[in-house]
Amino acid sequence: MKSRFLFPHWCRFLGYALILAHIPVVVFKRTLGFDLSHGSVNDDLFNSHHVFFMTTTLLMAVGLFIVAFSKEKIEDEQISQLRLDSLQWAIYVNYLLLIISLVFTNDTEHILFLNLLVPLAFFIIRFRWVIFRLNSSLSREG
Amino acid sequence: MKNNIRVERAIKNITQADLAEQVGVSRQTINTIESNKYVPSTVLALKIARVFSKPLEEIFMLEDRD
Repeated sequence: MKSRFLFPHWCRFLGYALILAHIPVVVFKRTLGFDLSHGSVNDDLFNSHHVFFMTTTLLMAVGLFIVAFSKEKIEDEQISQLRLDSLQWAIYVNYLLLIISLVFTNDTEHILFLNLLVPLAFFIIRFRWVIFRLNSSLSREG
Repeated sequence: MKNNIRVERAIKNITQADLAEQVGVSRQTINTIESNKYVPSTVLALKIARVFSKPLEEIFMLEDRD
């Protein structure tokens, strides 16, 4: 069985690089705060706040997306099954969190952010975890 | 479903890695099939049977609970 619509294996490292690249930018912004439009409320499209938010979020989202959907070294049918299984888990967790946050908060901006992040992040963690378990069961048997 | 891939491998004297390479999957997949943790697709089962030059039923058999 051939898995379609997956990025080549090397893209995974590109994805990790994008995620890592976005962290210092956000930390820098949070600590030093070069926020010019802080005093006056500015709702224009493409103001500095919007552009910054857009670029960092895009960096992170694209990075996570590429990491999640790049091929394994040997992409066989068992890997496809694990991928599908992890995807199901990720959707379950996402909607559970979404429902909980809809009921208990009314902070829609953060709900959007959560919804953007959780499915991919949980998918990656769960998928890597089952592959790690698979590899460790192999090394135990020799 | 159970299988006797491990026995057939011993007869043919090939490793998990050799078999994995011949049918185009990872060694982990062969390992999990041998330990009955993963049920292969029909295509993969047929490929494995072809490596051992035996009919499918001599390598994979149903169990009572299947």
